Amino acid sequence: MSFEYIKIGKEEKEFISKIEDISGQNLYACYQCGKCTAGCSFSNQMDLTVNQVIHRLQLGQKEKVLSAKSPWVCASCLTCTVRCPRDIDVAAIMESVREYILRYEPERIERMKVTEEKAKKLPNIALVGSFRKNTEL
Amino acid sequence: MAKAISMREKKEELDTVTIYIMGQGYKVPSSLTIMKAMEYAGFKLKRGVGCRAGFCGACATVYRKLGDYKIYANLACQTKVEDGMYLTQLPFVPANKAEYNLDEIKPSISTMLRFYPEIARCLSCNACSRVCPQDIQVMDYVQYSLQGQIDKAAELAFDCIQCGLCAIRCPAEIPQYHVATLARRLHGRYHMIAPDTLEQRVKEIEEGKYEKGFEELMSLSEEELKKRYVARDFIDQKKA
Amino acid sequence: MKYSYFPGCNLKTNAKEYEHTAVEVSKILDAELVEMPVFNCCGTVHSMVSDNTMRRVAPVRILSRSEEHQKELEDTKNTVVTLCSMCSSTLKVVNEEVKEDEEMLQKINWQLERDNLKYSGHSEVKHYLEILRDEVGFEEIIKKVKKQLKGMKIASYYGCMLLHPDKAKIDDSETPTVMESLTLALGGEVVDWPYFKTCCGSYHVVDKEDIVNNQVLKITEGAKKRGANAIITACPLCAYNLDSQQVFLQKKGVIKETIPVFYFTQLMAIALGIKLKNFEDHHVDPKPLLKSLGLI
Repeated sequence: MSFEYIKIGKEEKEFISKIEDISGQNLYACYQCGKCTAGCSFSNQMDLTVNQVIHRLQLGQKEKVLSAKSPWVCASCLTCTVRCPRDIDVAAIMESVREYILRYEPERIERMKVTEEKAKKLPNIALVGSFRKNTEL
Repeated sequence: MAKAISMREKKEELDTVTIYIMGQGYKVPSSLTIMKAMEYAGFKLKRGVGCRAGFCGACATVYRKLGDYKIYANLACQTKVEDGMYLTQLPFVPANKAEYNLDEIKPSISTMLRFYPEIARCLSCNACSRVCPQDIQVMDYVQYSLQGQIDKAAELAFDCIQCGLCAIRCPAEIPQYHVATLARRLHGRYHMIAPDTLEQRVKEIEEGKYEKGFEELMSLSEEELKKRYVARDFIDQKKA
Repeated sequence: MKYSYFPGCNLKTNAKEYEHTAVEVSKILDAELVEMPVFNCCGTVHSMVSDNTMRRVAPVRILSRSEEHQKELEDTKNTVVTLCSMCSSTLKVVNEEVKEDEEMLQKINWQLERDNLKYSGHSEVKHYLEILRDEVGFEEIIKKVKKQLKGMKIASYYGCMLLHPDKAKIDDSETPTVMESLTLALGGEVVDWPYFKTCCGSYHVVDKEDIVNNQVLKITEGAKKRGANAIITACPLCAYNLDSQQVFLQKKGVIKETIPVFYFTQLMAIALGIKLKNFEDHHVDPKPLLKSLGLI
């Protein structure tokens, strides 16, 4: 068995409160049933699964959540939201993590390159969706 | 014969208003345009001034009015001063311009997205149309460009004078007037068909049909030119 | 019956055939799609955060512009019809949000006021599949079929946005049947498969193509395994992903055979006797399949 000591102090509580503010969801309603992760189409490509992200948010573990790839792998398909037995909008929580990074810690983001070649052949709807989710507006 | 009134006397009769140029208040005659009023107040305009006729887009001015929270924008040479106007000028607007060779690109959505992918960020907030001094529906032509309807975009953007105010107000950081220029160039080059009389005339010129005529005119003195000008043929509009 | 139709940004560019076939089919079924005179991008995917009113202005602008058009068409049910699933979901979600939240609607109307627009909150957004099922009815469609789609084994791909979120679904989100019913009405064979709503990867095709390739592989292999020879969809982005990435994967040697992807209106057009104009937007060529079945 391995242990890890974590701190839940003022900074963590502020982070939790901010995420709840932006998403409009109650993080503590989640009882870790795992249906979101089970239904997520991209679970196998995430480093932290969806329910793990929520758990770490409940404990205010800012660094672990903000440095994960998971929020950027999420494609807003909303399968998690539709299946949550506690009626939590899970996709909104994932989106608020993205928004938190975009608004307050944008240095964490890996800049994507939209080359002329790419932009030439992509359908405009792909660019619209991508810019809405990956840029600050 | 009218009695000549000295300028000093005339000044006291003038109706004045107070305008604030970059925070400093000035009393200026109420009949002047913003541009004239700035010069009346003592400013020497080296930037932000051009044709003085509402066509070049150099004198973009942003202002508020006393007691009114709204932001207004217009051309300094075309707008009359109002009491309580609180203004500044935008002589230059930074906006990235894409480089392209018009002969090597096609009029399609992929061209618009290739050079200006940011049009996909348009929020449809309409801040751009509201600030346009030419009353162009800027948001609509950006949307037409996003939908690939380049001919409609070009027609809607016809009156654009490239003042840049739209690009400054845009929350999605789109350089609208550059997008319009690309659309207009594509439309003109690929959609508009040149009349065949134009081609014929160009051919005639290249074949040297008018060489002798030009040489003759170039050899005339100023007096002779003036005589020729007055005696020229012109179409009587009423008869034509 | 005429409906105010909102094309969205995509239906005039790489989904031209979707719009062309849908409009022609709509005329035959007396549920005509009449394009809105002026429209703007809906800004998909809808904003899920609670504090971004700005992102909700674009959908409400569309709804208010449609209201004027609906009066012209004398549509008493006040419907806005879309063909794109992503537009459908975004518009429906925002419509429900502003109907519930008076304050938000008022804020947005203040924004629109300066453009002489106002949204009353009375419109209903419908995807064209809902119109076909609820207003036209599948019996009517069966009557108008001239050529049965014999030999087509169709896997119906819903994607996410037709069924999510709950406010925006057009059918049961776990066991939807509308596209299967349509397939049967057109004389095709229904293929039962588990990946009918596995997300295609959507906008990740811009910068994270690997994610999309993963999904496309899963979805198309799943369809082929169940014996399908065609996939139908209602979303231009899904169609692009499933179509173009298959060609990419084939070039890389990851998949051997490809399966053509159609918009449901293209198959409706074939069944109702309308000639398809072009196949240039397809990456996987569907002509061999259609010719072998005698459908074109």
